[in-house]
Amino acid sequence: MINIVSCFKWVIDEAYVRATSSGQIDLESVDYKISDYDRNAIEEAVIIKEKYGGDVTAVTVGSPEASKSIKNALSRGPDRAYFINDTSFADLEPSQTAAILADVIGAQIKYDLIICGEGSSDLYARQIGPRLAHKLGIPCICFVQKLEIKDNQIIAERRVEAGIEIITVPMPALVTVLSDINSPRVPGLKDTLAASKKPVVNIGKQDLSGNYDPKLETRETRAASLKRSCVKFGSEAQDVSGFVQALLKAGAIR
Amino acid sequence: MSGVWIFAENREQSLELLNIGGELASQIGTKLVNIILGDNGQAQDYIDYGADEVWLLPALGPDQTLLAYAPVIADEAKQEDPDIFLVAGTLRGKELAAIIASSLDTGLASDCTFLKLGADNKLEMERLIFGGAGIQKVVCSTRPQMATIPARTFEPAEMKAGREGIKRELPTPPLSPLKLLARQNRVRESGDIREAQAVVAVGRGIEKKEDIDMIRELADILGGEIGCTRPITEEKHWLPEDLCIGISALEVKPQLYIGIGVSGQIQHVAGFRDARIVCAINKDENAPIFEASDYGIVGDLYEVIPRLLAELKKSGRAN
Repeated sequence: MINIVSCFKWVIDEAYVRATSSGQIDLESVDYKISDYDRNAIEEAVIIKEKYGGDVTAVTVGSPEASKSIKNALSRGPDRAYFINDTSFADLEPSQTAAILADVIGAQIKYDLIICGEGSSDLYARQIGPRLAHKLGIPCICFVQKLEIKDNQIIAERRVEAGIEIITVPMPALVTVLSDINSPRVPGLKDTLAASKKPVVNIGKQDLSGNYDPKLETRETRAASLKRSCVKFGSEAQDVSGFVQALLKAGAIR
Repeated sequence: MSGVWIFAENREQSLELLNIGGELASQIGTKLVNIILGDNGQAQDYIDYGADEVWLLPALGPDQTLLAYAPVIADEAKQEDPDIFLVAGTLRGKELAAIIASSLDTGLASDCTFLKLGADNKLEMERLIFGGAGIQKVVCSTRPQMATIPARTFEPAEMKAGREGIKRELPTPPLSPLKLLARQNRVRESGDIREAQAVVAVGRGIEKKEDIDMIRELADILGGEIGCTRPITEEKHWLPEDLCIGISALEVKPQLYIGIGVSGQIQHVAGFRDARIVCAINKDENAPIFEASDYGIVGDLYEVIPRLLAELKKSGRAN
């Protein structure tokens, strides 16, 4: 019986992020989603549970609006959710998120294995996993593409620039997973119905006693300008010839 | 105490950090400390490239991972209180930096593409957010101000003759509970696409695996390498994942990028944002890739590629 915790974040879907004419980030018509790699983290927790027996708790920190994420996460298989929320938890920087998660998980949730996505789709800072592990005083293995458990030991295959590293550590421990570790299931109607019956623990700022001051301060955000010429050609032979001429003129081909 | 500290797990990125780190150190008026893996013989090399002090991390046992160094580096930082600590943003470097930042209870800006001392002498750090759609400028209100820096963000430092510096050995780290069972070094099937002057990327518009041959021919003619979007590696498994271009994969900076049957999702586009010239071939004229392109061809790639190959051969571009 393995007690598994998977952490997830409710984020702006970057596909809807636009730039205003003055170069600002336009978030007027955005939609939200469970961060891409966190779907892999939840899926991996459920796979481990199915394979070895266990129990999955999904945990998120965010603004009260992130409540929409809870049912979505639970429909993917976890047994219960912890929803840590406050209006001031909307735009946390990684050290804050990790400190809040550590306080709640450390005090209230039984865990042998914590699984996080390698990074969030919005900030992609890739810090929550290692910071959370450090705060809890447990070892961490990041960028895992294959996970097994044997005799209370985690055996993780992780991918870094130089190649593959196979690392083992006794539980409790934390891993962050890459997107190719699994293919997250698409919840069906039955899963969605089941999700609404699962327990949800709500935790507010008043239930926490730590100091969660930000250590990074955002001075400015702006749209990333692409500054491309956007010249379009047709597909006939003479158009393709014009395209090649343009590349030659630009010095892009020699 | 003060100082600008840098750490990289390889020489190439050490030299890049020595350049930007040296600039920041001279602006602040402090020393530049390079923490390295390696032996005393290599220390002088880094001094020649601008380090005032080189601190050597002792070799690890064969079953230890890079993360074992975290407590040693964090302890040094607690004693020495550096102003700035830049860590090369390899994956292992990012993991190490996050643990050190947590140990020091300080902020860490990940994957910074621009660094500058602000008017208040705080380090302004810029990084991409929203899959590359936005840029965030942050400062760190605690010490040290930490950042991870992706490879090739800064030019390497230049060698200066006759420099002298201090060499020092750091203590041996305690044994980490993480045990390395095996390491398989990556074997590259092709050239390094991060070095390629032309990159031709394959997207979902390609119908079958065999069709990649025709794209490879185009890459060969252009003297470049082939790359792809995430679905090609992850869903189709047609190309290895080390050819996947994107903010969460490889970032490339070629002279020429051509996306073929690539729709242009921001995650992928951010992976070639620093390409000099960007081209796209796509049958959907509203595909977002055209917004991110200098020159685009709207048309069926199965008609366009043979014409393009013929045109390049005709104009004598074929190698």
